Amino acid sequence: MNLQEAAEAMDEEARKNGTSEFDIIAIESEGMGVEVFEGKVKNTEISNSRGIGIRLFKDNKPGIAFTEKISLPSIRQVITDAIAHSKITDEMYLDFPEVSPIKEIDLKLYDSSLDEFDFPKMIDICKKMEEVALTSNSKVVNVPYIGASRSFFQSVIRNSKGVNFSRKKNGYSGYLGVVSAQDNYKKMGIYSDGGLDYKSFDPEFIAKTAVERSVELLGAEPVKSGPYPIIFSNRVSKSIIGMFLSPFYAEQVQKGRSKLKGKLNTKIASEIITISSEPHIPGLPGSSLWDSEGVPTVPISLISNGVLKSFLYHLESAKKDGVKSNGHGSRGYDGKAGTAIWNLIMEKGSSNLNELMNMYPECILIHKLEGGSGCSAISGEISIGAQGFYCKNGKIDRPVDRITLSSNYFDLIQNIKSISNEYSPVYSSFKAPDILVDPVFVAG
Amino acid sequence: MNPQNAEKILQAGLDNGADFAELFIEETRNASVSFQDNRVETATAGISYGVGLRLLFGTDVLYASSSNDDPEHLIKLLKNLAFTRKSSNFMSIKGNYSDKSKSYFQKILKDPSSVTQDQKLPFLKRANESARKVSPKITQVTANALDVVSEIQIFNSEGVFAEDRRILSRFSVGVTASENNERFSASESPGKGAGFEFFESLQIEDLAQTAAERAILMLSAGYIQGKKMPVIMGPGFGGVIFHEACGHPLETEAIRKKASPFTGKLGEQIAHPSLTAIDEGDIDGSWGSIKIDDEGYPVEKTVLIEKGILKNYISDMVGAKEVGVRRTGSARRESFHYAPVSRMRNTYIDRGNDSFEEMLSSVKEGLYAKKMGGGSVNPATGEFNFAVEEGYIIRNGKIEEPVRGATLIGKGDEILQKISMIGKDLEITAGMCGATSGSVPVTVGQPTIKVDEILVGGR
Repeated sequence: MNLQEAAEAMDEEARKNGTSEFDIIAIESEGMGVEVFEGKVKNTEISNSRGIGIRLFKDNKPGIAFTEKISLPSIRQVITDAIAHSKITDEMYLDFPEVSPIKEIDLKLYDSSLDEFDFPKMIDICKKMEEVALTSNSKVVNVPYIGASRSFFQSVIRNSKGVNFSRKKNGYSGYLGVVSAQDNYKKMGIYSDGGLDYKSFDPEFIAKTAVERSVELLGAEPVKSGPYPIIFSNRVSKSIIGMFLSPFYAEQVQKGRSKLKGKLNTKIASEIITISSEPHIPGLPGSSLWDSEGVPTVPISLISNGVLKSFLYHLESAKKDGVKSNGHGSRGYDGKAGTAIWNLIMEKGSSNLNELMNMYPECILIHKLEGGSGCSAISGEISIGAQGFYCKNGKIDRPVDRITLSSNYFDLIQNIKSISNEYSPVYSSFKAPDILVDPVFVAG
Repeated sequence: MNPQNAEKILQAGLDNGADFAELFIEETRNASVSFQDNRVETATAGISYGVGLRLLFGTDVLYASSSNDDPEHLIKLLKNLAFTRKSSNFMSIKGNYSDKSKSYFQKILKDPSSVTQDQKLPFLKRANESARKVSPKITQVTANALDVVSEIQIFNSEGVFAEDRRILSRFSVGVTASENNERFSASESPGKGAGFEFFESLQIEDLAQTAAERAILMLSAGYIQGKKMPVIMGPGFGGVIFHEACGHPLETEAIRKKASPFTGKLGEQIAHPSLTAIDEGDIDGSWGSIKIDDEGYPVEKTVLIEKGILKNYISDMVGAKEVGVRRTGSARRESFHYAPVSRMRNTYIDRGNDSFEEMLSSVKEGLYAKKMGGGSVNPATGEFNFAVEEGYIIRNGKIEEPVRGATLIGKGDEILQKISMIGKDLEITAGMCGATSGSVPVTVGQPTIKVDEILVGGR
């Protein structure tokens, strides 16, 4: 049974069992990759997996069940389980979408020529990266992490109102992690890239960049504790933004878990900040024409010139607020719906990074964040380890590590003084320029 | 899978030049019920099924995983994997076990497969009510009851045929408190290697109340002044410091890539002489326990550090061979999707002799980290971080006002030397650990400990 046939069979079984409100998700993924260490291919991997699940409603009560065994008996068991579950849940309301026209845009998420990116090609680029990394700087002592891979993904979304979408995407990636040493200290530099055009992957550039990112932090020392202007470079700015997305989810607002409750159309960030969810940008990995509840996606402005413009809705949260879903539903075959972020784009400013560094007599340029356990999207608290450079009079003065940054996300976005005109070139669905914030408390 | 099919696939592996071939067949049923917003929000269940096929050429690992267990399909995958390889004959693997079809089953009182999901509802409702009763400031309570029943078979070309049935149950309650547009959340998530009897054994009201009280306490907490200071870490989840700072770098997966500050240090004094640390494979009923590892190798109690001296690494088959140490039964994987590597199981700092009062009185100004949050480490540099979920300032040996969650950072090999006092109140706590072979259930643990100096994030 292929994915479409499995979804069709599940649809049929659900109807036979007297359910008329449901959606089905079936997903298949394949991948292959290698890892190289000290000139040898240490790991070679092939994977493929499939799964299918249903979310059905009986008397407005939801039941969810899934299986990774795709056969008629398993599909029947899934329907039985989901119906049993609908007997113990409480009522929940949503309107499954009707069939509606979908925009015709080539999102450039699939390229059949990626099938040519086979093991020998992967091994070649890994060995090349390792060779460059080991020979480009005498301080490099080890290259523990080198790999290349490709993946393929396809899904079918089908509901009781006749929606039946399928899509496929693929991609490749290559990465390495380099360790350099000086005195008793070691620093790791990591760089990776990917996308659809494996021929554009430049192992030399990737390796040299990782080496540079490792070596540049050698000899780092903490700075004196106190408030500083901080530049989150475009290597890490998207991580800071990405850690605090859930306050923008309508579901979190409704459940009292968002500090943005009641803040719609008020100023929540510096007026130079504009952020949107952009599902239709060709070539970015987060693009999609519909969400995983079968709702057509639309671009949504989250923050415009500092003003909160919208929350992100899926079917259930939209029904609760009496609005239409704006296509941000996310659901795998195995669980309940959550909120999806497509491509998250923070608009660029007009200054370059040097101009940002020149805005204050001293500042700290952060290139690395360490862990996120001290950050909470609910309280907005940020307490995180960081590494980068201390800058004086617009120039990099010395590398910095063993410091922590302390702020609150909701203060931090108000305190953004400037943003640069440059995104990181890495293949990613989040795009954010360098961000200058003042003040952030630093402990060292 | 029947042994005949398994043998056919393993033989194909050897015929294609592998020195060793292994099959890991897994069927896992997850069933959970979630309560949120004062209502039963979701009930979900499903079956994951698939096969992991591993070939070793020397110590090079070739791995295929698939949810299709058809032998012809698996042999095709195997050929795709092996086509560029030649046998090295570098490693002749001989396990010290030869039991055929050996079964390792947990003792379970109430098998989750025989319990319907609706029987979880009373526990969830009790948690919700107890947490909300604590204060009108409690604005949201989520509770979840999960059980996982995993049946695995392991066959390898050395004649191993092992079966295991692993049962886990976990209950979590998360509470959000709000006041004046401040919001804090706190949670408690105990778990055990047990069946439905686990939910029945829980003091649900106490758990919910603990989480609720912590969320409310943090609403009024201030900030600590960030700097290096002594920190006393509470028992149980405080063990996350050892897990991140030392446990991961002691896995042969890090050692074999020379990506650990502890490479080549066996037999050396790496920690304060008062510190002994253990990674135990099978503590009865513990969340991190396994009877055999995911290579079918029996587990053991592994002393990692004894009185400050590094005694053992945490090893799997490939790691043991490459590093030149014995196997400790620590090969683990999240599921058939992952090749197994060396991972922690139940990892804890052993009991010491110091009292909490002695520790407190030795601190003029510092932090009492009563409850820790999660963390992470870069084994290659030893740089680790973890978060305090509930902390208090210590002044002149007295616990004073609460402070908001702070991140603590340091280097693994340095911090070990600075653990100077160890209490008697050993506790271990359930958690999930993510690494190369996916997310696996582990416990972390310790008695109350004192770290002489660590950088505490703050203002």
